[in-house]
Amino acid sequence: MSVSSTSDCGRSGARSVAVWDPLVRLIHWGLALTIVLNGAVVDEESALHEWVGYVALGLIGVRLTWGLFGSRHARLSAFPPNPAAALRHLVALSRGDTTVHLSHNPLGALMVYNIWATVLFLGATGYMMGTMQFFGVDWVEEAHEIAFNWLLVSIVLHIGGVLFDSWWTGVPLVRSMIDGRKRVPRDRSVE
Amino acid sequence: MIARYFPAMKRERRAITLAAIILLQALCAIFFVGDVIFDLSHGDHLDDLHLILEAVAALALCAGVIYLMRELRDLLNRMAAMELGIRAARGEMADLIDAFFDQWRLTPSEREIALMVLKGIDNDSIAKMRGTAQGTVRAQCTRIYAKAQVDGRPQLLSIFMEELLNVGEG
Ligand code: HEM
Repeated sequence: MSVSSTSDCGRSGARSVAVWDPLVRLIHWGLALTIVLNGAVVDEESALHEWVGYVALGLIGVRLTWGLFGSRHARLSAFPPNPAAALRHLVALSRGDTTVHLSHNPLGALMVYNIWATVLFLGATGYMMGTMQFFGVDWVEEAHEIAFNWLLVSIVLHIGGVLFDSWWTGVPLVRSMIDGRKRVPRDRSVE
Repeated sequence: MIARYFPAMKRERRAITLAAIILLQALCAIFFVGDVIFDLSHGDHLDDLHLILEAVAALALCAGVIYLMRELRDLLNRMAAMELGIRAARGEMADLIDAFFDQWRLTPSEREIALMVLKGIDNDSIAKMRGTAQGTVRAQCTRIYAKAQVDGRPQLLSIFMEELLNVGEG
């Protein structure tokens, strides 16, 4: 038996890599909280609804700033929006590829940008509703509604994708968004 | 507190605190910037002392956030580098152990047992894990100690401790 083959793993047979820094995690759960609050708890007509919306915008603003020069896997350049790569990822999946991505996988990356864009759009239309110019304008309110429904669909797909990828690659992803570490099974290749 | 004895844990906690402060301060910064823009667009002018102070405070907050973000990134980079170093050291330790085992010409099953001994597992548990009699394990240990020319467990361990502590003295 070679000693080195068992050296860096403890008992689990997986190696653990720090990927999501604390700022990414705080922003993620903060954003999730604002969406749940504004979608299900807070009265839509209230001032609180607006404030929670501003906080959501602020969280995304901070995240995008952090994405410019932050930690390695949090940088936007680590998961550029690339539909062609997402398509290739799907094809690879259908062939049984179980490569682990330390940042977001190409498909997940598209979803991340989609969620951010949708929340920003919700914020913009929400703000417009409160201005003199657009107060009571139908298409603004409808756009806000449609964007919210789209966000709900996106989040369902997002959570579904996370659960699928955890099962497919064997990396407990939800845990990685809690303690920041991806535990990669030893026989997986990593990107 | 345990964290005092584990620098890695302490750093992890510092990173979390720093991230929380960054987030709160950034939200405050956004609030003040928004407030200044709102005031400007509602007829106030930048020659109003109150507004000037507000604008300066907003800018200072933004600069602070950027500065803290860079601090956090550097802290995270240092933590990652240290983790890499520890992993490399572990790899070298494993190589070292392999080299000694080779030198002593241990058989594959002796290597397994010697490794368990180094990890501090007692004979009783080794026998259970390997599904053999305690006497067998004891006999194998005796052969390992003989090949390594040591009297027993503590001395076997001290061979590796010595290698580790001698680093730097050549
Ligand atoms: C309202 C709810 C949610 C929203 C708006 C949301 C949004 C996001 C966003 C924007 C990211 C990218 C993070 C970044 O790079 O900064 C992300 C990643 C992630 N989210 Fe969520 N999320 C929500 C709920 C959840 C829930 C409930 C879970 C747990 C089941 C979850 C698990 C994850 C995981 C594991 C990642 C990282 C995926 C990877 O490794 O690529 N999210 N989410």
